[in-house]
Amino acid sequence: MTLEARRSIFSRLVLAAIGLSLALVLVLWFVTHQTVVTTLNEGAAKEVDVDIAGLVDIYATSGLDELRDRIADRVALTPAEGRTPHYLLANDAGERLAGDLTRWPALDPMVSEAGAIAIGEKSRGFARAVQLGPDLRLLVARRTDASAAVLRNIAIAFAIGGGMFVLLVALLGRLAALDLQRRIGRINLAFREPGKAVELIGVRGRDEIDELAGHSARALERQRGLMEAYKETSEQLAHEMRTPLSHLDNRLLKALQAEPAPRVAERLVEARAEIKRLVQTLESLLDIASSKSRRGDKAGLLPVDLSAMVTSLCELYSGSAEETGHSLTWEIAPGVMIDGEERQLSRLVTNLLDNALKYVPPGGKIEVSVGPGPVLVVSDDGPGISPADRKKIFDRFYRGQGHSHDAHGSGLGLALARAIAERHGLQLTLEDCVSGSSFRLEG
Amino acid sequence: MATHDAAQSHAVVQCGRDGGMTNTPLRILYVEDDQRTAAAVSELAQASGDVLIWEENGSAALLRAGMEAFDVIILDRMLGDIDGLTITRRLRESGIGTPILIMSALGRSSDRAEGLDAGADDYMAKPYEPDELMARLRALHRRSAGKEHQAVIIYGSFECHLKARTAFRDNQHLSLSPKEFELFRYFMENAGEMVTREMLLRDVWNIDFDPQTNVVDVNIGRLRRKLEEGFGTPALETIFGSGYRILEGK
Repeated sequence: MTLEARRSIFSRLVLAAIGLSLALVLVLWFVTHQTVVTTLNEGAAKEVDVDIAGLVDIYATSGLDELRDRIADRVALTPAEGRTPHYLLANDAGERLAGDLTRWPALDPMVSEAGAIAIGEKSRGFARAVQLGPDLRLLVARRTDASAAVLRNIAIAFAIGGGMFVLLVALLGRLAALDLQRRIGRINLAFREPGKAVELIGVRGRDEIDELAGHSARALERQRGLMEAYKETSEQLAHEMRTPLSHLDNRLLKALQAEPAPRVAERLVEARAEIKRLVQTLESLLDIASSKSRRGDKAGLLPVDLSAMVTSLCELYSGSAEETGHSLTWEIAPGVMIDGEERQLSRLVTNLLDNALKYVPPGGKIEVSVGPGPVLVVSDDGPGISPADRKKIFDRFYRGQGHSHDAHGSGLGLALARAIAERHGLQLTLEDCVSGSSFRLEG
Repeated sequence: MATHDAAQSHAVVQCGRDGGMTNTPLRILYVEDDQRTAAAVSELAQASGDVLIWEENGSAALLRAGMEAFDVIILDRMLGDIDGLTITRRLRESGIGTPILIMSALGRSSDRAEGLDAGADDYMAKPYEPDELMARLRALHRRSAGKEHQAVIIYGSFECHLKARTAFRDNQHLSLSPKEFELFRYFMENAGEMVTREMLLRDVWNIDFDPQTNVVDVNIGRLRRKLEEGFGTPALETIFGSGYRILEGK
């Protein structure tokens, strides 16, 4: 059985049904076996008791010799129906006076004890012993070998019938499981390909699974509608903002090309930079919304060499860190892979590096590490983050105390970093540190 | 310092303003439904001596692209009839390999990825930097002409040996780190043209957004020092607010 089959609830249900029906057949066989044994034993006991009553009567009325003759007659006579009788008339020492049995079994005649005995080498029987008089005891038995044949036949019948029953259960269970598997499989496929939800699991309303399929199709349709509305809105928003900003930027550029006074030129350059920042803020907000809407959705993610990517980014930032008087060091375990969107992950890491370079004073240390897991840590020995800021540090437009007038930060870097992490099913947290701050990304 | 004679190498491309390669007028097909943007870009193309044919809608653009030859195509994404991504796909499906630059108001990473996946060669978001637009168009044209696959690129006093990954100035070996070589190579492939920070980030570091730290300037500064150390003349020109250009260094 494949791993997938072992994991499937339907395979397990079929196996359980087979196990249960097998147990049911065994219990039924056992009950039948016991009932038959009891009934046969009761029949034998009744025959034995009737026989004893007759022989006791003969002994009482006609004496020992007559009893011996009658026993000899009965031994010589093989009955056409019923069980073969066996007798032993013996004295208290167990010495045979009449009958075909030779050895007195462990049955006490004083209490008319009854039970199973061996008859000859191979046969078994049911016997009762009675005390007829002083130094005279009688054992009457019936062979029960015929009962064994009946029981064997019953066992064979149960084995064949039970086997067929179990096979039928397995077959029906498998068919039912396949049908359920197909229907549940379509619901699962619809979640993997939401665009085909209605086509895959159209509402039919037959049973609970159809009801579930209907709910799923409607939920997926709603989700798709929301995603489309979001995409349309964000595209329109981008278009309606960027196009006029583009015209405005063009005008500013033309004004700059007309070689205005240096002071005016400076203002124009600043205005163009403001436009750029505005566009970046808009983009970051849309990126955050987009990442959040796809939180934990692993569709479309490809294997990314996190080690190579982070190393390249650290190398890119090393010059800037050196220039600003920071010590940037990195310790990257080789070959750490992650399923992700490379550009988005690059953005996450650069946002953390930008953040460190922005808030750690010159002379400070910034350390980057990547390990299996994957785990990425960007830590520094800067002033750290005050307890009041810690909870809000990942909020949009939150710049932290003392940085509210920082014109260079959009206040979206860490919010976007966290949204990207969540989109990849990762956690980005601020670790507790004695000094400095440490951001940890892990799966 | 190691020296080298480039004349011994094969497949040498001589770049330069005098070579007539970098300033060849481009024939551009421009598809844009916003008249003001179209007017601004037309003006830009005219100023640089290029020929720009403007189409306002996608179906007319598809027709024209099928009938006439262009050096590059600039496509807007959100057009009235057919969107830019569909136009790109249809052009590629019909075997038209003309370089396509999508210039759109949709400028997020995912939008760029969509554009490039559809078959576009480059992607710019509005508001655009006019110099950057022209630089990218020329880079696209050069790339499509196959000039970047040469073994050696020579520009002024510089030599870039692509297979051996070595760099020379005035036949003297320049000791560059692997990333510095990538940067140098990019400048040499775009010799005589401006390259912007965005182009460098995208093509050298695979980053399609603007980091908050001046990482490009610092890395260019380091490369500049290596290119200029021991030589009397500047190697890289900074074009204020726009980008950089490699100089002949003579």
